[in-house]
Amino acid sequence: AASFERRVLRSAGEHHYLRVRLELPDGGARPNVAQFKQLVVSALKELHGEVGAALPVDVLTYEEKTLSAILRVVSSGLVKLWSALTLLGFYQNRRCAFRVLQTSPFLLALAGNSRELVL
Amino acid sequence: MVRFKNRYVLCEVVSEDPRCRQCIEDRAVGLAVRDAIGRVHGDFGLACCSISFTVKYLNAYTGTVLLRCRKDSYRLLCSALPFVRQLESRNQRYPCFLNTLHVGGTIRTCQKFLIEYNRRQLLMLLQSCTNEDERRCVQKSLLSCSLTEEQCLSGNEDDDD
Repeated sequence: AASFERRVLRSAGEHHYLRVRLELPDGGARPNVAQFKQLVVSALKELHGEVGAALPVDVLTYEEKTLSAILRVVSSGLVKLWSALTLLGFYQNRRCAFRVLQTSPFLLALAGNSRELVL
Repeated sequence: MVRFKNRYVLCEVVSEDPRCRQCIEDRAVGLAVRDAIGRVHGDFGLACCSISFTVKYLNAYTGTVLLRCRKDSYRLLCSALPFVRQLESRNQRYPCFLNTLHVGGTIRTCQKFLIEYNRRQLLMLLQSCTNEDERRCVQKSLLSCSLTEEQCLSGNEDDDD
């Protein structure tokens, strides 16, 4: 009888992708893409210091109208980024909140969202 | 058994300014290290490392400092030590840096290491002596701290991991 060997690789790829939306309930000027990235990096810097601010985070897409973006981060930094986004409270002295809508180690998985499925 | 495990980091304060020695106090060093951790690792790192953080031992003459922290956050502490660039006390600041000598699980292991390290430093000082008085002083200290045959028989102690 032949013997089989099964290999399971648990590495989920080197990047994680997050679809986030910034909520500004008090209205006002909307940040452009550079200010958005500056906001993300400053959130990391507050919670995780220089090491956090040096984490390679990329803004892949940004829509100024809905203030939603797709962020890419190295997999080892996902916890740091997500916790920093969660604890960010203010943007230019206005209240703000980050809502994480989808997250996946594969960018393609962010294309389909069963929450917005219209049956 | 469940108990809190600590790590003791032994460092040496090195400074070009000889007046920095008077600035080496536990509060000044503790504040400088905390401030460096806050800059490098942010609020989260500062809170993590401050749980059981103290300056356990300080020797202003040799510039030796023993810091304690929790075992889970000693890596955050050790990685932030190179970012300590000055010591401040009584409104005076002096540039300096911290050299990490040893990380141990108990004060006893750090003490054993420090005794050996100081012996080796005395030998190096003897080689770099410039005049006769210094040479005689260092030779006297070396003779007083070398082991005789009876002292060589020291038992094994249980070490923390």
